[in-house]
Amino acid sequence: MLQINNLHKTYKHALEPSLQGLSIQFSTGIIAGLLGPNGAGKTTTISIICGLVAPDNGDVVVLGDNVRSELDSIKRKVGVVPQSIALYPQLSVFENLQYVGKLYGLKGTELKDKIYHYLRIFGLDNNAKKAIKHFSGGMKRRANIIAALLHEPVLLILDEPTAGVDVQSRNMIMDFLKMYNGQGHSIIYTSHLLEEAQELCDEVAIIDNGKLVAHGNTEDLISSYHANNLEDLFLKITGTKVRD
Amino acid sequence: MQKKAASVSRIIATIINECRLFLKDIAGLSLLLLMPIVLTVIMALIQDAPFREYQNITFDVLWVDNDHGQLAKKLQEDFSQAKQFHLVTSVDDKVLDDAAVKALVQKGKYQIGIVIPNGLSAEVINSANQIANDIGSKIGAPGKLPQRESRPGNDIQVYFDPAAKQTFKLSIMNALEKFTTKSEAELTLSRLAKTMKSQDGNANDSVNIDLQNRLRAVGIREASPVSASIYGATNSVQHNVPAWAIFGLFFIIIPIAGNMIGEREDGSLTRLKLIPGSYFDILFGKLFFYVMVGVVQFYLMLQAGVYLLPHLGLPALYMGHAPISLFITAAVISLTATSYGVLIGTVFRTANQALPFGSISIVILSAIGGIWVPIQILPHALQQLAKVSPLHWALDIINDLFLRNGSFYGILPKLSLLLGFSAVFFIIAGIVEKRRKR
Repeated sequence: MLQINNLHKTYKHALEPSLQGLSIQFSTGIIAGLLGPNGAGKTTTISIICGLVAPDNGDVVVLGDNVRSELDSIKRKVGVVPQSIALYPQLSVFENLQYVGKLYGLKGTELKDKIYHYLRIFGLDNNAKKAIKHFSGGMKRRANIIAALLHEPVLLILDEPTAGVDVQSRNMIMDFLKMYNGQGHSIIYTSHLLEEAQELCDEVAIIDNGKLVAHGNTEDLISSYHANNLEDLFLKITGTKVRD
Repeated sequence: MQKKAASVSRIIATIINECRLFLKDIAGLSLLLLMPIVLTVIMALIQDAPFREYQNITFDVLWVDNDHGQLAKKLQEDFSQAKQFHLVTSVDDKVLDDAAVKALVQKGKYQIGIVIPNGLSAEVINSANQIANDIGSKIGAPGKLPQRESRPGNDIQVYFDPAAKQTFKLSIMNALEKFTTKSEAELTLSRLAKTMKSQDGNANDSVNIDLQNRLRAVGIREASPVSASIYGATNSVQHNVPAWAIFGLFFIIIPIAGNMIGEREDGSLTRLKLIPGSYFDILFGKLFFYVMVGVVQFYLMLQAGVYLLPHLGLPALYMGHAPISLFITAAVISLTATSYGVLIGTVFRTANQALPFGSISIVILSAIGGIWVPIQILPHALQQLAKVSPLHWALDIINDLFLRNGSFYGILPKLSLLLGFSAVFFIIAGIVEKRRKR
């Protein structure tokens, strides 16, 4: 589903490159974890995949389409849940989703039904008319995910979707992702919560300093490094030095 | 065709979304609609005085007559008859003297003080007699009036508040000069008539009247280059209301820039950019919404000039006879303001940077653009600088439509210029945005 070949990116005014020759391949139908310490290049990689940032060099092919030439086609097939709550705080969750849905070309009863379908799944149907700014952290995260699902993407990319949420919300999100993957959709997911990633991901790719440092089936990778779990593996590969 | 329909649908969705955001923000709504109307009305009221002719304003003038003669009496009569002056001869039941006038004006309690010196009338009569005798002797007039050597130093003293503006001083001095010259001329003519007394001793009034009429032979009349109804509308309201309405309209940049920066900060811009289709559709929807808000705001401010100001003692705004041209002009001015807002919202990363810069830049552009005062009274260099301000061209077009009977084709070059400003603002914003993506 995703081929990243020799990706390079250095932001303007940055002292060091964010990506230096990153290459990864993920197959279709899996939940893949893109892991790495702070500043490893995870968000930059996701931003390039969905066309928010232009790469300096290298190629990205998503579901058969190249990001440089077929971005619109990629955007139709991919749903992205950004790290920030990318919704209008002063509008209700229904109004936010209605606007996003309309921009995707959905309308009328189809759109309304779809919005309420996901609001029910994520337990937000009773708060449909409530402004996002009055939502709890967990509610905002769930609403943020729904906005990426309305056009039924084949590939769902989530950048730290459970950051700062309570256990209940996290469980709800995790259950949904498993169910969505069970329906044949692919998922790429980044997180600093490695226990969560171990539970969820079929494959993990660990990047550090803009380079791939490990990639494989989650359980195989843990055992090949003689690690106790994903967190242990992560520390063995990336070290214990604090990153800024 | 399907792509076009999708594009229109995205534009409409964005307009509806902007409406929702707008209606949820009561403070922003007040800022956009109510505050500019309040600003326009208040500025029209405050700025009315400097635009009025001095005949319409009454000034208290401290008056000390140390002469008590014929000329002093005549000057006092002329000043009293002139509507713009109210002579004050005593303050707190005390008759004024030279020192009191000086002190009161210096303290700023009164703006003008006039002291007529002792012996002024005698000196002027003597001077008039000298002139009359000189002329009379040359034309063989029978009479001869008493005369003596002139005694210089009998000047009228005029005191001005030290804070008074130069133009104000000049106007008062001109008025005083006019009254004095008139009185001196009348006195001279009457003295000349006396020298022409007939042998039987009767004064020849017909000579006097004839001389005065002949002196009025050349008249000055203000003529109108446009129809009388339009020309009659050239008052302070005609400058102030459109000028402050344009100024208020440009403040639309604050919600636009704030909205753009807010979208960047809360991540909703990221969401919009993740959606397939051209971001231009979304941008167009936003611009269309704000341009229409600007047009509504502009018309509300003009309507305040038409219906509200007359209740506050000012003349009603005259809006010309070209409603379609006016609507197009309002839309183009609003587009220019909106595009400037987009530029500010794109260039600056935070609201703390954008909003002060945006507001102050509008104040500067309005000052050099002739919003505060007509550019005709500015120095030549500033008049040239006005051309870089879109607010100047906006006001110029409105003046063309309201006061110069301008046609659509007449204002088209200036409208194109405003569209040029918009294009430049958008291009710079586009370049900055593109560089940011790197």
